[in-house]
Amino acid sequence: MSPRASATPGPDSPGTSFLVELDRELARRRVPAPARRRIAGEYADHLACDPGAAARLGVPDELARTFAAELAADDARRVTGETLAALCLAAVALVAGQLALGGAGGSPRFDRGTSTLLSLPAIVLIVLAPQVAFIAGSLGAVRAWRRRRARTLPDAEVRLIHRRCRVAAAAGSITCAGLLLYAMNFTSRLPAWWLTLQLGLAAAALAALAAAWRASRSASPTWAGVAGVPEGLAADVPRLAPLLARPRAAWALAGTAGLLATAAFTAHAEGSLAEGLQRGAFEGVAIAVGLGAAIAIARGSES
Amino acid sequence: MDAYGHLDGMLLAILAAEPAHGYAIAQALKDRSGGVFDLPEGTIYPALHRLERSGLLDSEWSTATGRRRRVYRLTARGRRAADGARRDWSRFAGAIEAVLA
Repeated sequence: MSPRASATPGPDSPGTSFLVELDRELARRRVPAPARRRIAGEYADHLACDPGAAARLGVPDELARTFAAELAADDARRVTGETLAALCLAAVALVAGQLALGGAGGSPRFDRGTSTLLSLPAIVLIVLAPQVAFIAGSLGAVRAWRRRRARTLPDAEVRLIHRRCRVAAAAGSITCAGLLLYAMNFTSRLPAWWLTLQLGLAAAALAALAAAWRASRSASPTWAGVAGVPEGLAADVPRLAPLLARPRAAWALAGTAGLLATAAFTAHAEGSLAEGLQRGAFEGVAIAVGLGAAIAIARGSES
Repeated sequence: MDAYGHLDGMLLAILAAEPAHGYAIAQALKDRSGGVFDLPEGTIYPALHRLERSGLLDSEWSTATGRRRRVYRLTARGRRAADGARRDWSRFAGAIEAVLA
């Protein structure tokens, strides 16, 4: 971890002790190796300019903590941006594929593909997973935006932001998997151009989501030692605070609202109350699952 | 005197004159303040890294007198931020002076 030998103080000098201790503290706080090498190089150059500066540089433990905490906060915000961008790609894959179905002769019945064992899970994934991705991604973005000016964040809050991003990336990936499954199930029913479009968009979104997930896993040195408990979900969405104080009521209300809205819309569009109720029930369950995931994420972070 | 709250602005102001490496920045901070700011010199490095991640600074390794050193320079955004920090401080100091006078 030392810089070039010509820039390194003597083996028994205070400067060497400082560099060794600083590197140990940075490693203990899981600061990535490239950042540690750069930090060591800069302090070594400082000491080479003035060997007596070791006493004036500060306490290695405190310096390492500052580096780790500021890096963790910035990384959490950066990963949130990458996750949102990947989710936007997944949304494009979902919406463009569905809209393009109109030009591809319409959506085939679920039992007209290769197997209903493929089409039913695909449809369930396409309906449920985007809701979880949207809610988790939005909550991650809201928290990162609210704390955009904070130099450091409590370790627990960094973990909360990363958790929301990873849930969003995972749910987005499941959505893309559902899209791929759907397309593959209807290869004999849908034109090649639609299949190419859907497979291409879903694969691109999947790759971006995987990259966002990896970034979140690898970029979170949340051992900076910054104490504090993050605010709960109500702080992110203050207007929902009264509802969120009663999560079961919020859960039931959101599900019922989703059911009624979708039922009314679909019944009108399809001219069939039965069809509207079926899709409405499905949507109600999906919204309830999404909100349930959000509440679980928020509560998990507070426990 | 607590200089931490204004460290970012001071670093940007020093680098507005010319690109510099960490030790030179620490010396400029000490010289320009007439030794008033008693900051541990090492604290400028986390601030420099943070300012670089914010896009206000750019840096690269260079080799001088056989040593590798990281040289920092302002980006266009950093130059605007330095001007803004200077304006904010002038307004703030003017207001304080007017109250104290």
